[in-house]
Amino acid sequence: MIGGDAPVAITTPLSAGTSPEAVRRRLRGRRVDLAGVVLRVALLFSLAFSLLVLAVLLYDVVTGGWEVFASRFQSFMSGTLRFSAGESGIAQALRGTLWIGVFVVLLAFPLGIAAALYLEEYAADNRLTRFIDVNIRNLAGVPSIVYGILGFTIFVKSLSGLTGGRSVIAGGLTLAILVLPLVIITSAEAIRAVPDELRLAGFGLGATRWEVSRTQVLPYAAPGILTGTVLSLARALGEAAPLILVGAVVGRLGSNPGLLDLGSLDQRFTALPIVITYWAGLPQADFRALTAAAIVVILAIVLLANAAAIILRNRFESKRG
Amino acid sequence: MLHIAKRPRARLLVMFVALSVLTAACAGGEDSAGTGTETTTGSGSGAATGGTVNISGSSTVLPVSQLVAESYADAGNDANVNVDGPGTGDGFQLFCQGETDISDASRPIKEAEVATCEENGIEFVELYIAIDGLSVISNADFDAVECLSFADMYALSGPESQGFDNWTDAQAIAEELGSDTEFPDAPLNISAPGEESGTYDSYVEIVLEDIAEERGQEAQTRPDYQSSGDDNIILQGIQGSPSSYGWVGYAYFAENEGAVKAFEVAEEPGGECVAPTPETIASGDYPISRPLFIYVNAEKAESNPALAPFVDFYLSEEGMAAVAEAGYVDIPEEDLEATRQTWEDRTTGANFASE
Repeated sequence: MIGGDAPVAITTPLSAGTSPEAVRRRLRGRRVDLAGVVLRVALLFSLAFSLLVLAVLLYDVVTGGWEVFASRFQSFMSGTLRFSAGESGIAQALRGTLWIGVFVVLLAFPLGIAAALYLEEYAADNRLTRFIDVNIRNLAGVPSIVYGILGFTIFVKSLSGLTGGRSVIAGGLTLAILVLPLVIITSAEAIRAVPDELRLAGFGLGATRWEVSRTQVLPYAAPGILTGTVLSLARALGEAAPLILVGAVVGRLGSNPGLLDLGSLDQRFTALPIVITYWAGLPQADFRALTAAAIVVILAIVLLANAAAIILRNRFESKRG
Repeated sequence: MLHIAKRPRARLLVMFVALSVLTAACAGGEDSAGTGTETTTGSGSGAATGGTVNISGSSTVLPVSQLVAESYADAGNDANVNVDGPGTGDGFQLFCQGETDISDASRPIKEAEVATCEENGIEFVELYIAIDGLSVISNADFDAVECLSFADMYALSGPESQGFDNWTDAQAIAEELGSDTEFPDAPLNISAPGEESGTYDSYVEIVLEDIAEERGQEAQTRPDYQSSGDDNIILQGIQGSPSSYGWVGYAYFAENEGAVKAFEVAEEPGGECVAPTPETIASGDYPISRPLFIYVNAEKAESNPALAPFVDFYLSEEGMAAVAEAGYVDIPEEDLEATRQTWEDRTTGANFASE
């Protein structure tokens, strides 16, 4: 269950066959560690480069979308998909994205964490478990469009009685399935990192496996699990390709129900990534600003989800300490 | 303290899940066809109104259907009209499985698609609604060439012209293709729509495809030109060079006539040169144009009470105003009459069918 010797196997010896003289020279010498400096600069450059790309992206979309927010924030947030850029808004897309998030949180998170807990704490370490483990890892690497086909076949076609066909339910379920392997893998990693002593101490006090999992393993692994789940949520909110297959609409959506209107969950829908993709391809220049504004909104949603996870993680961590 | 705070939240969550599953199941059971007569909450009771019309198909026709749907809603009709635009082919695939009520198309339905529809027992009414014309343009002061044939355009902008930065570079290919147009010794600066645009597709399909096929080339333009999705930037590029070349949708040229010039176009080298005007485009004499259609599911026109009134509106004066607003050319009055008659009689089958 706990692969204690795995890390050793992949590291190379620090310096093989080092003589005492060599060690002494290294410790006492004043030689500049050239390789170390180069590595440090390279690492710093990598970090700076990623941050720079992010900063440029943020600057670009914020400046691009600013005039939309400044001139018609209200109508942009509450408007519907329309022909004219001046009247278009993202209310319907926002609603679709929100509900996709709800489905992922309600379905993928509990299922994924439970599956990870089973694999790590309950399942015997045999061939079948390892086979399942490898398969889940492979599933996490399957291109999202394939999940779109899966979602189309299962949720849009076979289960149309339940989902209403090309609905936000079908879209949400598809994306929940899409991120399920990710949730399982990251949760399993976090659970695996829980020190074995905690479990053994629990068993030693006569606790059952479930009691140990609930009171020791899960709280200890919670920060890691949260990080993984939020990354999965961000992935689900940003996916466009599977939604195209499930049938998100880009041109016009007749209805514009409220955010929390459960009754229309089985009707046609749209979502932010789809709308962004569509608007970005439109020839009219005015849609450029709308595209940027919609990107800012989806970034804000993902950042909010991240912030929520960080706050929760800090609470768990302070509890652990 | 944490535990106390957690409990009610957990219970709420469970209730919420149960509730959403329940509502989903109920709503799904009521209406399994997906195009029935459910009314949106809060849109009044109206049994005669409401309902849903699902439109999919060509992204070129999408703006027309979108605009018609908008003015339909503005006129006080509360039917849910959903418009999507994955492309003409994808649209017919959905349509022939009975998933959509109306299919937008920027070309006539193909025989293979008709066969699929027949297999699934789908009959359709084919309605010709608009014309999409392309103008090949240059700087207003450019007078070395007045008329271009498809062969000339292929030589200037086809897949084999990569790297040509002077009109004379294209002379050899044009002559090979049988053209006797004299290209001037002037820089060739091309500004045109990018691949994402429907106008690009039209240009490739109508002008380049046949010649490219003959010569064993990919049906595409040269990659090295100033491409933009924004007609205004294309116009700037065209005006910025005294011997530029490019193409835009006819409607856009018409708005900017005088600022740029449109070449006359001949389909074959030495053929009749035709200038783009609403008349020549409508009559089909101008060769770079294509008809736009909507296909209506005949059975659903009966069974879906929201559909027929919407199509009626589509073909009315008010609905047809969307054609020009979306940047396309109105079809001639007698063709519009014919379209209306086809719809009135619910004449099914393809009259424009291509191979």
